Amino acid sequence: MLVPKVLVLTGEGINCEKETAFAFNKAGAESTIMTINELIKNPSRLFDYHILALPGGFSYGDEIGSGQVFSLKLKNFMGEELKKFIAQKRPVIGICNGFQILMKLDVFNIDGHRKMGLAPNRSGKFINKWAGVKVEESSVCLWTKSLKTESTLPIRHGEGRIVFLKDEEEKSYKTLKDQGQVALTYTQDVNGSYNQIAGVCDPTGVVFGLMPHPEADLFKATHAVDNRNPLEKSWGFGIFKNAVDYISKNEGTWK
Amino acid sequence: MNYSRVEITNKYQGHHLNSWVNEARDVFKMDLDRMEETHFFLIESEKEISTDTAQKVLADSVLDEFNCLEWDRGEASFAIEVGFKPGVTDNSGKAVEDAFKVFNCQNKISTGKIYWVYGNLDRKDAQRLGREILANPLLNQIQVYTIKELRRAERFKHISLPKVKISGTGEVKAIDLNISDSDLESLSIERCLALTVEELGTIKKFYERKDVQTAREASGLPLCPTDIELEVLAQTWSEHCKHKIFAADISYSETSEPKYGPNLGSFKVDSLFKEFIKNTTEKIKKERKLDWLISVFSDNAGIVSFDEKVDLCFKAETHNSPSALDPYGGALTGILGVNRDILGCGLGARPIANTDVFCFAPASLSDYDDGKALPVGPKPPRRMIEGVHKGVEDGGNKSGVPTVNGAFFFDPNYAGKPLVFCGTVGVMPKKLADGRTTEQKGQKPGDRIYMVGGAIGADGIHGATFSSLELDENSPATAVQIGDPITQKRVMDFMMEARDRGLFSSVTDNGAGGLSSSVGEMAELTGGALVDLALAPTKYPGLKPYELFISESQERMTFSVHPSRTTEFEALAVDYSVSANDIGEFTDSGYLELRYNSELCGKIDLDFLHNGLPQMKLNAKWEGEIYTRENWYKGAELSEFNGVSNRSFLERSLIELLKRPTIASKEEWVRRYDHEVGGATHIKPFGGKLGEAPNDSGVVWLGPHGGEMDNAIAIGCGLAPRVSLYDTYLMAQFSVDEAFRNIIASGADPETVCLLDNFCWPDPIYHSSKNKDGDHKLAQLVRACKGLSDICEAYGAPLVSGKDSMKNDFRGKNGYDEDIKVSVLPTLLVSAMGKTNINSTTQASVRSSDEKVYLLGGFGEGLLGSEFLEITKISDSELPKINLEGNFNRYKNIHKAIKDNLFNSTHDISEGGLAVTLSESCFGNGLGVEVNIPDNSLEVLFNEAPGRFVVTVNPENASKVEDLFGKDAICIGKTIMEEMLIVRDSKELLIKKDILELQKAWRTELC
Repeated sequence: MLVPKVLVLTGEGINCEKETAFAFNKAGAESTIMTINELIKNPSRLFDYHILALPGGFSYGDEIGSGQVFSLKLKNFMGEELKKFIAQKRPVIGICNGFQILMKLDVFNIDGHRKMGLAPNRSGKFINKWAGVKVEESSVCLWTKSLKTESTLPIRHGEGRIVFLKDEEEKSYKTLKDQGQVALTYTQDVNGSYNQIAGVCDPTGVVFGLMPHPEADLFKATHAVDNRNPLEKSWGFGIFKNAVDYISKNEGTWK
Repeated sequence: MNYSRVEITNKYQGHHLNSWVNEARDVFKMDLDRMEETHFFLIESEKEISTDTAQKVLADSVLDEFNCLEWDRGEASFAIEVGFKPGVTDNSGKAVEDAFKVFNCQNKISTGKIYWVYGNLDRKDAQRLGREILANPLLNQIQVYTIKELRRAERFKHISLPKVKISGTGEVKAIDLNISDSDLESLSIERCLALTVEELGTIKKFYERKDVQTAREASGLPLCPTDIELEVLAQTWSEHCKHKIFAADISYSETSEPKYGPNLGSFKVDSLFKEFIKNTTEKIKKERKLDWLISVFSDNAGIVSFDEKVDLCFKAETHNSPSALDPYGGALTGILGVNRDILGCGLGARPIANTDVFCFAPASLSDYDDGKALPVGPKPPRRMIEGVHKGVEDGGNKSGVPTVNGAFFFDPNYAGKPLVFCGTVGVMPKKLADGRTTEQKGQKPGDRIYMVGGAIGADGIHGATFSSLELDENSPATAVQIGDPITQKRVMDFMMEARDRGLFSSVTDNGAGGLSSSVGEMAELTGGALVDLALAPTKYPGLKPYELFISESQERMTFSVHPSRTTEFEALAVDYSVSANDIGEFTDSGYLELRYNSELCGKIDLDFLHNGLPQMKLNAKWEGEIYTRENWYKGAELSEFNGVSNRSFLERSLIELLKRPTIASKEEWVRRYDHEVGGATHIKPFGGKLGEAPNDSGVVWLGPHGGEMDNAIAIGCGLAPRVSLYDTYLMAQFSVDEAFRNIIASGADPETVCLLDNFCWPDPIYHSSKNKDGDHKLAQLVRACKGLSDICEAYGAPLVSGKDSMKNDFRGKNGYDEDIKVSVLPTLLVSAMGKTNINSTTQASVRSSDEKVYLLGGFGEGLLGSEFLEITKISDSELPKINLEGNFNRYKNIHKAIKDNLFNSTHDISEGGLAVTLSESCFGNGLGVEVNIPDNSLEVLFNEAPGRFVVTVNPENASKVEDLFGKDAICIGKTIMEEMLIVRDSKELLIKKDILELQKAWRTELC
């Protein structure tokens, strides 16, 4: 079986790279943590990997909007490589800050335009809390495929509220939903997100962006409500496993 | 140069300004309707910046409104513009500069905010709003405009960036110490040296030595010290760095018989630190044959081995004085500073958990007696609480270290200086790939000296000496600065890789004293150092050499790098966007040599620098309980009490206790800390079904951090400042016991616990006019140390690191121009870290109905020092007792019971007593408890006697628990399906309250 290679991007204030790499490794992949500066020296190195992960954190301190500067850097120095990577249906995940970065890279455009954004939580405050999440049945997302429908994951963000371009909310949401791009929702309103959206995918389902942190729910050991049987796998683990399986079962495609 | 201004307004603003609006309405009685904010960016660039580029860089196409031409919010009554004063760290500005670099534009950026204020306000209101809520005049430029004035100001045309204008480059002065004592005293004050006349005399004498003079002549230096030499001595010899009081020769005596703690008689101590702290740890190590103490009291943090694969570093610091003046910046630099202690431990450890404990004056103090109790200078309680909290939030969250444990303690005596304790646990591999032991530093003569991280500015000059002085209304603003968590995070990532690749031989942090301390300390091992200060990067030109050397500008580490590794070291720094500069080399010359562009400006004898400070001789005289406490802060006076503990009184007492700021829920605040980044937080601040029951300690799983797969550590803290009003000997013991209880409740092994001591004291040095009870306060310190030492021995728990902060007083004016002095309660924070295992931990929340409820450690006695006495007119003359041996045996049994899975929940009894503990265990899990207690209900419900727990047990395990604990476990009742707290004594129903009602009271807002 092919051991999928995962590139976990870091630097400039990304701070969940270790647990994200740990998650993929536990799911059977081989992760490399690399700074963005190292990668942009030679962007084609991206293609040495099957999966790209943009972890959580506070790149550039969330100054002038979370993900803003990091995404400018990615877009400017390796925008074409990223497009190609996605076009080849190599899985990409952006978690929390990673999602905020992906959002600004135009991968979740609707009808060819950026119509969605991640605004400050309605409370205006950062929040760390375990929230109920639900996998949307209509979703095409490969990362959430056949997971148990409902579970809980920790959210840890100040800017995680999904909003749509003013006056186009309903229409944009409908398109997103119809294309199976709404992948994950909250079971309760935690930050004012539109229709409680927690995560979305691109129309092909290979790119997944979500605000909650599945890499903090790999084992029961870190579960908020029940941490007995600590070394038993927890729900969040399944997300990484899905992508790893997707690659290893398609052995040959990636050579 | 081109200048432009851009403004960005988020169209989807959250409600973060609401609390300020409410405060302006409720506290300042302003007719304020709402506020909105706009970010502005002032850009200085060589090339003209196109609107397109600016928009691309600064605005989000969905979220933001972009403006680069005159515009405004016409309906607002005022626009309050808040920018930075020259030289103040502007993190937003730095990020925007980085963003423009992506497009090859090298710009200088300054940022700020415009607050659009809507409502019926006058100019005075608007100015007050700006000065007291929206900004800090020490750091910010504040402009208040009506909309008409704003238009007239044409802000998009007239643009000027705040710039520091100083011109001291290369300037070195010789300082003549051959002057009168009173002139020496003035010199010390003017230069903020915090040296006594005697200490300056010692320096003077040294410089008069023949051999010294001959050597100086040979080097071409003036015979008297140069400013840089004197400043370096002052930093190194400051109370902050040298702990002179803890090292002093002290004669202790008692003029009055201690009422509560033991009579210690008269004795002499040669260094409290050596006698009561270091020797205590050594004795414990020897007696218990501890093999897990790797390094204590020698490095930046204590290092212990609770794991086969990794070692752990543990350290806590305070940042009180800076936090008083700028709560946000003070706390932010506090948490980042203690993280750097961990980074600079051995060859570098990675921070994996933060703790934070704050002592504040309650917000209600502002309303008491028309605010007469509030000093002018330090920020008022609301700003303090909000700012300090936000600083810790940003420091931890943005650099990716989870905040897993902490506490808030409130008392009016913290109005002058708040206490801001920040702690960190770090992890390091036992050995590096090249075989070196990670805990050992190895700098050698010939190694290059690298300064890594931030650049040097005037901010943070005299931090070490400033914090060694009491505060007054003229305290220097340069001691205040803002941290930059992202720069630090980059440094952290960089140095972990550099360490693992073996690129450096040693490292230490730049904390108090800046380069002077870090290079000075590292030079001790090699025997010398040579630094050219012109090589250090600066934020702006014009700094004098001495300023460069002692500035405490943040986010800097000092490394020693073998000349053969410098190329790799520098290249790696580039990958992590970290600045690394070669500023000199370690030598074995015996001197700390300082140059500026090769010109010698100072040459300090290292032996004199580190060993020349004469030991202080002090008297400590215990004069009994001389504290009288004004009845100035009462949350509620339950005056209906008529000597009978009837139901309505007890229920109301419980409700009022739950609202007390020290006890009330901190969930709203704690959830703004990221407490699980790292993906290893096993026990979080809140537990239970809905995550609403407060846990006693934070437990961090070591598996994901490279440790054994099921290994973990529990981290807790304890403090009991109010007991200092009676006896600090007991205060210290209550503090240790609380820290112990916290981690025992989560499953820690009491035989594998290490402790940190952080003393924060009011000035303990006698002065005939300014500090008449100095001798008594020193006696309180001696008693606290003795109490600490005794309990550590009894519990077999070594102290592995600690710190003290000795001048926590404010002397100045209140808002009515009246003289006031506010001194903190003598406070000892004890932090505890114990080994545990993720397979056997417990939390505070009860799990199901029909669990048996046991009280471990008895019903307790004595209400003195309790929260309950703070809110009632009842008097009691009894302080709870502490039984060291009994407690420790109980802790061992609890550990055994948790390991055998006998407990469903464990919660320690602390502030508020049994009634509060029972209530908290039921929050957010849909259950209740029903208990029976003895007839002295008042004392039983509300005393805070140490050593005690409430645990719940499945009925089938009851006999095992009773066998294990014997009489020490008292079954007091059971959990019930009904969400009720029901308490009875032998005669009647005492409390019957809906848990949700109790929880609502507990959720009272702090401010």
